[in-house]
Formats: sequence, structure tokens, C-alpha cells
Amino acid sequence: MLSNWKAHLTRILLALWGLQLIWLAWHFAPEARDLARRIGSGEVGAAVRQEDPWYLWSASLSAVIPPDAAYVFVDNYEAGKDIKIGYYLAPRRHLLVSPQSPAAFLFHTLHEEQAAYLIVRDRAKPPGPGVQAALRSQAVLPLKIPGPGQAYRVDYPLFHWGFYD
Amino acid sequence: MIEALSLLRLLGGLAALCCLGSGLLAAVLPQPREFRPLERLALSFGSGAVLLTLWMLALTWRGLPFGLGLILGPSLGVAAALFLTPRGRRALSGDLRALAWPRRPGLQGWDWLFAGLLATLFLYACLRAALYPMWAWDAIATWGCKAKVFYLSRGLDLTCIDAHNYYPNLVPLLLSYLYYCLGRVNDHLAQGLFPLWGALLLGLLYSLARRLGLSRRLALGLTAFLALNGTVFVVHLYIAYADLPLAYFTLGAVGLIYLWLAGQAPRGSLSLAALFLAGMAWCKYEGPPLAATVILAAVLTLAWLRPPGTWRRLCSLSLPLAGLALGYLPWRLFISQQHLALGADHIQNFYPQQLAQASAYLMAALIRPYFFGFLWPAVLLAVIAVGRRLWTTPALFLVLFLGGNLLAILLAYAVAPTSAAEFPSYVRASLDRLLLHLTPSAALLLGLGLKYLRRAPGTNDPPPSPQTPLPTPAK
Repeated sequence: MLSNWKAHLTRILLALWGLQLIWLAWHFAPEARDLARRIGSGEVGAAVRQEDPWYLWSASLSAVIPPDAAYVFVDNYEAGKDIKIGYYLAPRRHLLVSPQSPAAFLFHTLHEEQAAYLIVRDRAKPPGPGVQAALRSQAVLPLKIPGPGQAYRVDYPLFHWGFYD
Repeated sequence: MIEALSLLRLLGGLAALCCLGSGLLAAVLPQPREFRPLERLALSFGSGAVLLTLWMLALTWRGLPFGLGLILGPSLGVAAALFLTPRGRRALSGDLRALAWPRRPGLQGWDWLFAGLLATLFLYACLRAALYPMWAWDAIATWGCKAKVFYLSRGLDLTCIDAHNYYPNLVPLLLSYLYYCLGRVNDHLAQGLFPLWGALLLGLLYSLARRLGLSRRLALGLTAFLALNGTVFVVHLYIAYADLPLAYFTLGAVGLIYLWLAGQAPRGSLSLAALFLAGMAWCKYEGPPLAATVILAAVLTLAWLRPPGTWRRLCSLSLPLAGLALGYLPWRLFISQQHLALGADHIQNFYPQQLAQASAYLMAALIRPYFFGFLWPAVLLAVIAVGRRLWTTPALFLVLFLGGNLLAILLAYAVAPTSAAEFPSYVRASLDRLLLHLTPSAALLLGLGLKYLRRAPGTNDPPPSPQTPLPTPAK
């Protein structure tokens, strides 16, 4: 049999675990409630994704961008939208460029990677220097696809890049 | 109706994996019935997953486009051939008999509470995994994205993925195999793989705990204690990360090698451990070094304890080493053939301030109930309970493996090339997952501590296997 101190220690540990179980139930309760609500209303599986405006926009974009095409996505990695759009638009080749990137870098990427599309994450924000320069060029044409961001068709062979900025 | 049909196809795909692994077990184990049905199920799934995904890698190498027939046909053919051998036939007929007359569980008192807690957890985890689309960061950035690309491009196409191309591909290939079974990319149903993997991990832990000599109640309690302690394990049951599969393979390899060292392993356990080490190496980038530490800990334990036939036993460890090579080399050769860039940026310099910071974070993660509840403090108590037996029994193997890897985590953070501002978030994003790889093996050590707490050493131990056991603790 267990000696006294060992039995006490085991009981303390079991009591702590009991408290832990209660805390776990409390911690996961909001997720469990959402799960129960969705099961009740039948909004599960693919229907959950329909609630994401990025998914809906990506679905429209994927109807326009061919599966073997490449696109440049202008955003910061930390925002987390880059991985979402990369997943939704897979297997299209995805290249991330920061909004602060200079024109030379953006032009170089578009030209070298033969990226036929340019996607800017936030259409409400003023574009960075690279995108501004691209818009001033004759090689970029906006696509009329409503959504949280703005997509452009790119004639990448027209881009001449170099260390001029 | 469509979802019900898809669910059936998913279950069929998972059953085919178990069938493949079961055939493999019939081939490598002299007497598969020495393993309990739950153990065989848990071990079959992992073995089948390793074999099938390596086969998919071989298909890509040969330039053959993926298709369900080409993926599954030859694999199931091999499994069927293995079942036709006398050993395979015996195993199969035994399993069919057991299925026809299943034993009643006969749970009592606390058993019901533990089983009820586990059932509630898995009901929640299965629904949470299979009714929500893939959503977690690494799931859509890496594992799920690769799986989708592999399925759509019918091969291991890495041209449209710009990060982490060098990561091993067991999990993405397995998910893409499930997409072939489902006939389309259905990431919410395929996510059902992860609660299943968690359940098999727990089944394995329960079986290993029973082999350590714990009663059914204690083994069930230990299993529930691992599953329902902190949030990390629970969350990994319903996100498509490779960390839970790595924890499963690690537990299998560590548990089987521990039993082999203790002379309690069924025959053929080292071959199975080799398959699980292959799974570790093929599952995640951290897998090969982790697998190497399993073998290193076994070598050090044998060198320290010097049981009869030490050299012969040391030579036997070449089998697990071959398993590690089986999981590691094919992918490395593929990487060099395809000229894929390796993640060499992981090691640059040694930063002492990061070591100090990482030590504080590690301590906090081990004791903060949010991550793993009270499991790691309980493991510390278990080490105290093992006491001096640590130096005279194979318990040393578990402590060396766990302690060595905790030190390795600190060392890895000390050489991580991150800025001072970025370092805390880098640790926060990875430490819980690194600990998850070790936690089920730590629960095994806790089980050993429980055994020593409950009874005097040496009494009621399971019957020894035909192998030579290591010295029993001094009385």
C-alpha cells in the first residue's frame, strides 16, 4: 500500500487534475457552444468557409486565374491573409511581396517569376511605392472582381527592371 | 447523403491503411498475437502510413502520376500476399476469431469515469475536426496546402510552394491519399485523421502502460491524465499539424525500445520500433534528430547498465538505426536530386542570452497548467518515485531521452537566428509543439513511477519475454 505522504501527494495531484478538468471545460465551452449551434443549424463543413469573405473572393479569383499561372500577393506575412489566399488559390504559384517593397523589386519579381497577376490585400489602404509604380505603368490592368482586396492582370514581359530607384 | 458517402469512402481509406500495416506486422513479427488487438491496431496504422507514403514518394521518383489505383493497388496487393503466408494466415484467423467473439470490457467504478472522460473528449474532437474546414496556421500554410497541391498536381509537385519545401511529407501525402479516397479536396472530412491519430496514440499509451505492469484502472487513468491535461494535446486532436503524428511515432519507438531494454517486449518489437523511427524521420523536420536521440539513449543505457550480452544488444540496435535511415534517406536523396533548398538558416551562432530566456520559457511551459496541465510536475514526482532504481534499471533510458531532449530544445533556441524582438514570439509559436513530441513518452515515465509507487519493485511484473532481461532493481 501507499505510504501516508505518497497517498497525500497522489490525492493532491488528483484534486488538482479535477480542477484542471473543470477549467478545461470552461476554456473550451465557447468553441463547444459554436459547434452545437452549427450542428443545430446545419452550417457545417464547407458552409463554414462560405462565411469567410476571403474564401468567396478567392473563389472568384480562381475562376479568372488559370491553375498554372503565378501571382504576386502584396501584403505583410504577419497579417495571416497570405497563407489563406495561398491555400485557397493553390496550386497556382504564390509569391509574397511586402507593400513597402520598392518598384525595382516588385518589377523584378513579376518579370522573373512570370507572374501574370498582382493581388493587393487591402483595397482601402493607399498602395506602397512598388504598386504605385506598377499602376502608373501600362503593364497593369485592374480586374473588376469585388472583394476585400484588389486584383490586377499583369503583362509581365513589359516590365523592365533594374537598379534605378 | 453525399457527406455520408464521403464519410464511408474516408473510413474505407483509413481501413485500407490499417490493412496494409497489419500485413506488414504479420511479416515482421514472429507471433503477431503476442500484441493485444488494440496494440496491433495502433501499430498497424502507423506502419501502414509510413509504407504508403514512402510508396507515393517512390511513384513521384519514377514519374508516375498519383491515382488511387496506383497508390493503393500495389500496396494492398503486397498486404494480401503477406496475409497469405502461414504466419499471416494465423494472425488473420486469430483476429477474425477475436472479432467474432469480442471480450466485454467489464469496466467498474473509476474505469467508467476515465472511459467517459475520454469518450467525451473524442466526441468533441471528432466533431470539431470533421465539421470545420482546415483553419490553423501551419495546417493551411504548410501541411494542408501541400496536400492540396499534391492531389491537384497528381504528384509531389513543390514548384508552387515557396516555403519549407524541404520538410518531410508523410502528413501531406497521407492527406492527399485521403483526398484520392474522397475523390476531391474535402479538408474538413480529411481532418478526421487527426482525432483518429490521437486515439491511436492513447491506445498505444494504454497498452504500453499495461505492459509496464499497471492495472487496467491505473493505465486508463494515466491515459485520461495525458489526454485531459492542458490545452495543447486537445487542440492538436483537431488541427492538421504534424506534431501529433510525430508524438505518436515517438511514443511507439520509445515504448517498444524501453520494453526491449527491460526484457518485456514481445518478439519482433525492435523491427516495429525501426518502422516507428522511420515514421519519426519521415514525419517532421525535427523527427530525425529526435529519432537519433532515442537510439542514443538506448546505447547509453546499455553502456551504463552492462547487462549480459551487452555487445550483442548494442549490435541489435542497428535495426532501429536502419529504420531511421529508411525514413530519412529517401527524402534526402529526393531533395538533392530536385535541388531543393534546405533550411540551413536554422544554425548560425550560439546566443547565450537566448539560452537564458529559453530556459525561463521552458520552465514556465512545463509548469503552467495551460499547456500540459500537471503532467510534467507529475513526471518529476515519478522520477523521484523511481529513485535509485534510475541507475540500475532501464528507467534510465526514459530519463535520458526526456532530459536529453529538454536540453536539446534549449540548445536549439540558443542557436536560433532570430532578432531579440522576435525571439519571444518565436518561442511561443514553437515550444508547446516541441514539448508535445515528448509528452506522451513522459507519460510513460509517469506510468513507471506509478508502478513503483503502488507496489514493491519486482512483484507482479509481467512475464518476461524470451529476451534476456536487464538487471532488476536491488531490493
